[in-house]
Amino acid sequence: MSKEGVLLLVAQRGGSLLSFVGKLWQHPQGRLGLILAGCLVLVAILSPILAPYDPYDVTQRAAKGLRPSWQHLLGTTTTTGQDIFSMLIYGSRVSLPIGIGTGVAIAFLGAVMGVMAGYLGGFVDNLIMRVVDILLVIPTLPLIIVLTSLFGRSYFVIVLVFVIFGWPGLARVIRSLVLVLKNTNYVKAAELAGASRWYIMTKHILPGTSHLIIMNTALTSAGIMVAEAGLSFLGLGDPTAISWGKMLAEAQGGGALLFGAWWWIIAPGIGIFLSVFSFMRIGIAMEEIFNPRMKASSSIYKLFKHLNNTYLDEVFRSMEEEESVVREPPDRSDAPTPEGCHG
Amino acid sequence: MSTKRRFLPACLALIAGAALLLTGCQKSEYPRRTDETNTLYVGVVQSSFPTAFMPWLSREGIAPTIAGLLYSTLFTYDDDTGRFLPNLARQWCYVDAQGRPIVTDSGSVDYERLEEHGVRTLRNPQTGQIERYLTVRIELDPRARWSDGQPVTADDVYYTLDIARNHYLSNHAGALAWTADLLHLYSNSGQLQLQGIFTYNHGAVEQGYPIGDTERDRVIYLHVRSVLGAVTSLFTSVLILPRHLWEPVVSRENQLNSRNPDARLQHLYQNPVGSGPYVLDPAASGPSQLVLRRNELYHLTRDDGSPLYTVETIRLILYQELNVAIYAVMQGHIDMLSAAVSPNYIHLFEDRDDLFLSVAEGTFTQTLVFNVNPVAGERTPTRNLLANRGLRQAIALAIDSEMLVRVVANGAATRVSAGLIRETLTDFYNPNADIFKGDYAARLERANQLLDQILPEKDQHGYRLLNGERVSFGVLGHPSEIELIAFLEAQLQKIGIEIRYQAKGSSPETTYLWTSRFDMTIQGVIFSLANVDIMLNAHFVALGRTSNYGRLIHPVLAKGIEEMRSTLNLHRKYQLLYELQPVIAEVFYKVPLYSPQVISIARTDRYTGYEVVPGATVFNSTNLQQIRRVDSVGGAASSEPAGESLSQRIGGEAM
Amino acid sequence: MKRSYLIKRILYAVFIFFVVLTLNFFIPRIGVHDPAERYYPPQGGMSDIEYEIIKQFTREQYGFDVSTFQQYVRYLRGLLRFDLGTSLRPGSPKVTALIGQRLPWTLVLSVSTLVISLVTGLLFGTMAAWKRGRWQDTLLLNASTISVALPSFFIALMLSFYLGFRLELFPAYTNPNMVAQFHWSWDAIRMVFTNAALPIMSMSLGGIISYSQTTRNSVIAVTNEDYVVTARAKGLSQATVLYKHVLRNALLPLATRIGMNIGGLIGGAIIIEQVFNWPGMGTLFLEASSTKDYPLMMGIMLFLSAFAILANLVTELLYVILDPRVTVGEKR
Repeated sequence: MSKEGVLLLVAQRGGSLLSFVGKLWQHPQGRLGLILAGCLVLVAILSPILAPYDPYDVTQRAAKGLRPSWQHLLGTTTTTGQDIFSMLIYGSRVSLPIGIGTGVAIAFLGAVMGVMAGYLGGFVDNLIMRVVDILLVIPTLPLIIVLTSLFGRSYFVIVLVFVIFGWPGLARVIRSLVLVLKNTNYVKAAELAGASRWYIMTKHILPGTSHLIIMNTALTSAGIMVAEAGLSFLGLGDPTAISWGKMLAEAQGGGALLFGAWWWIIAPGIGIFLSVFSFMRIGIAMEEIFNPRMKASSSIYKLFKHLNNTYLDEVFRSMEEEESVVREPPDRSDAPTPEGCHG
Repeated sequence: MSTKRRFLPACLALIAGAALLLTGCQKSEYPRRTDETNTLYVGVVQSSFPTAFMPWLSREGIAPTIAGLLYSTLFTYDDDTGRFLPNLARQWCYVDAQGRPIVTDSGSVDYERLEEHGVRTLRNPQTGQIERYLTVRIELDPRARWSDGQPVTADDVYYTLDIARNHYLSNHAGALAWTADLLHLYSNSGQLQLQGIFTYNHGAVEQGYPIGDTERDRVIYLHVRSVLGAVTSLFTSVLILPRHLWEPVVSRENQLNSRNPDARLQHLYQNPVGSGPYVLDPAASGPSQLVLRRNELYHLTRDDGSPLYTVETIRLILYQELNVAIYAVMQGHIDMLSAAVSPNYIHLFEDRDDLFLSVAEGTFTQTLVFNVNPVAGERTPTRNLLANRGLRQAIALAIDSEMLVRVVANGAATRVSAGLIRETLTDFYNPNADIFKGDYAARLERANQLLDQILPEKDQHGYRLLNGERVSFGVLGHPSEIELIAFLEAQLQKIGIEIRYQAKGSSPETTYLWTSRFDMTIQGVIFSLANVDIMLNAHFVALGRTSNYGRLIHPVLAKGIEEMRSTLNLHRKYQLLYELQPVIAEVFYKVPLYSPQVISIARTDRYTGYEVVPGATVFNSTNLQQIRRVDSVGGAASSEPAGESLSQRIGGEAM
Repeated sequence: MKRSYLIKRILYAVFIFFVVLTLNFFIPRIGVHDPAERYYPPQGGMSDIEYEIIKQFTREQYGFDVSTFQQYVRYLRGLLRFDLGTSLRPGSPKVTALIGQRLPWTLVLSVSTLVISLVTGLLFGTMAAWKRGRWQDTLLLNASTISVALPSFFIALMLSFYLGFRLELFPAYTNPNMVAQFHWSWDAIRMVFTNAALPIMSMSLGGIISYSQTTRNSVIAVTNEDYVVTARAKGLSQATVLYKHVLRNALLPLATRIGMNIGGLIGGAIIIEQVFNWPGMGTLFLEASSTKDYPLMMGIMLFLSAFAILANLVTELLYVILDPRVTVGEKR
């Protein structure tokens, strides 16, 4: 089967959101991811009911530095006497919306830019790709630090920077797909029939990339959640909000290590882990659904390549049946996610 | 397969072995543990050490403390008694037009005659106003030396005070030396318009001030504004610089407080020569460690001639995080911390007998400040409410200091009178001003009564409404004050007023409050005897870039403060201070919350003899003058306080 | 054709650098009508007039008294001399000097992490590929799944707590004497590595996983190629096959991966350095931001961006030079 054909097949497998969820459910790992993510979302929504105390309410403070007990499942903080278990639950109200929200925003921007660049070509393409190159080179974590020091610490600045620097990655991948899609007979026929460019872009091309977008959203959200934890850890988020990264920072600054309160550090770590893990699982399961040939290699490898945006090239390569490969030099990758894929 | 099987583990073993070898896999050697010398290891918590040691470069962090150890002022201030103790200078007095001292028979200042004989007038060329001034005569200690051996002379004092007033050459470095009341004026282009400092070489004789032949190098006459507080900052906060080193180097292109110093100035910054008890060892110092060695040429000694400061060498070790530093003390890597610790840590130290826990009375008070008089562009309906004294009184009544002390400060704080003078200053504290004492429930009821007349409407949660909208004030604060503000929120909820935390912004407009862009804020105030003149004026009277953030304009209070500042009768001054406290309390402008105690720790396995000094951490000059190595305690664990009586015996007149 | 491609890439990188440095110049000037107030914030006790005078002095010293365009030109000229500006710290040290002081310490961490994760990754990856489907492979799989979801600073905190505080195997926080008393002797070097042990461990975990996966998959991919099958069929030992054929060809994707990661090598250590108080560029940057030392902050940002651009460029060029199969096309 030709490269185009495979892609078209893949693209056509895209469908409504509900069908995505259905297919996910049938996939064993996807099911795990869905359940976990669902639980976390529930926790975030139902925090006031689930948490034994309201950490924002000062009248519900207890003695500082208590060890875990039945009254306080994870003890209390040494700095303020807040119940750590309740803080853990309320922390999901910050991490999850930021992760999912930013992921969706990046998906939207990236898709729009990618489709425009790929389909319209020429000057628009050049312009967008130049911007992509520049944005990919600037290190995001230092920039966020600079901007928060200029404009004050808030999640708004953080989300803004993530979105501005996150869409280039997706846009490039979408663009590659669009370049293939626009040469299909299907699209050419529509063009001949006189459909306007906007019509073609929104009705034909965009749906064809939908699976990629959704997959990317899940994986990006996971990455953003880790990055947000890192930034809150550095103290760059809203100081009155409770988030898992900030809990870790408070633990370190409040001398958790000195007091031996290891539970204060592990609890938010587990929170971050579960949220990232569940979204990752969803993303990887989705990709296995759409590319059964990719099942062979491990999921983690896929995640890394996805984050480095060489993924789509590899997809093509794996579907090639010829042996000689005209390999493009790797594109300049984006700067690692702010918390740092060290290595 | 077999080769591979053997190869892999071998490789891993090699790596592990190399790693182990390199790291040692043991606790590292820390020099303090084996240091037998008289060296005090002090941990300092800040982001970086200063690399330049000119005393007027910075007010931040450890820089002023170091400057105070390397350089000296003319006198030091005894906060409890309000007297000046000799340092570089050994005596002073006010003099009349002919240079005769205005003193009583016992030699102290004769305040009765001061007004009549001491005060003269001159015309200020810059403002055109007539100003009243006094003349002060200072005599230096002839034994005072710079650390390079040169004697400290009157010309050094002239140079220092002169350049502090000359912004043209000093680039406003003098702003960090409070010389505002010295009537020695320069134009912006560096022209001397009014001379106010006189030495033998600088026109003292022409002015008619006598200087004996033997005292040519030691006597200085100053013209200061006729307020009693004028000499305080001149004597106790201006660190004297060596003229012979700075004068040849400082110029218009190479200003004293230069951001682009040339090589010579850079050398002076990094190799400070001062007259203080310690000297910097630049060779041993670096970015994370500063070494100060005792200045053997320091002129103040004990009676038997032994050095006043018992610690020979101070090693300042930099830590960027407080917990790291606390860990270091607990592990024995350093002797003490120069930083104060939060009360949350107290029970970490309680059971350890190798630690000395110093809980000292604090000198600063957290207050809640209302924006009572915003500038025209910043008047909002909510802020207009703050102009209503009854409303402010109600809020003040609803604040429960005891609870704040208990819960926010873990008990390591004290409540403060509404007159803002601490109870421990027994001679000056006015109990009539302490109106927020006692029954909290009764105060709450009174507050609600007051507010019911101003804002009778409430919404369904119990918050008061103004024109149908909930009254809500923003409290501008630092992230470390979020807890405090949250508790205030809970307390004010009981009278139906809502407050919420507002972050201080990053632009000057939202950080420096003189633009009136706030409803309320938390401000720390320090009122002590040394600074009441300046502070009360700055906090309650002066407008502009001062601490009077809410721009209070209160004629009665302003008049009282002005009188207190300008009276030349010390007794009258203290009497006015006493009478002002109830007035301050009744204005309800800066409401005290609590005064945190200063908590710090030191190890007792190498040094002993620590003392708790009010307002200070364990790293203070009293301790530096008396702690001894544990193994060398045989000699004098002197029971007399090192400070006052010793210096009196040195032969200086205290006042 | 290759050479013109190389030249094009270099010019393009220069262009991007130019855009980045322009952005760098303008960022601290956003939303500020008077930059002098940022550089010399008002102190209390100063009258308005006095403050105006100070601001004028500050403007002259920092060069704000000329138009923005002239400031920009001066900035460019400074860059040509490798002058990144003067820090606001007392004593006004040069930004380049500060970076020069701290950069070697960050490099200690970054390069060690790179070496360790590479070597370990290679070993584990080869092992997992060889034993595909057996327990080593599954172990790797599970380990990697978990490690990606755990932020490295969390791992750092755990390591600092258990290995540092509890077991006292390594110092939980960097000893400031490490820098202060450093000299070229075995003792001092040992101290450096003792303090660096925990940060390196925290950072290398992610890298180990990444490189071992890359290695594993390239090894598997290459092992299925014709020439390897041929070699095996010829009866060559496994080891020979492994070293002579498989690894060499499998290394290329690995090299690419390294190249892509190097760009973030220095900036990525910021959080870890903060956790352990390691005196590198990361903590320098955080210090600058907490004291609002704009020249230093922007100088470091520019340095990091330049480094990223350079690293990417070198990777690309090396790839083109090294891989004989690549024909250079225009399509990206």
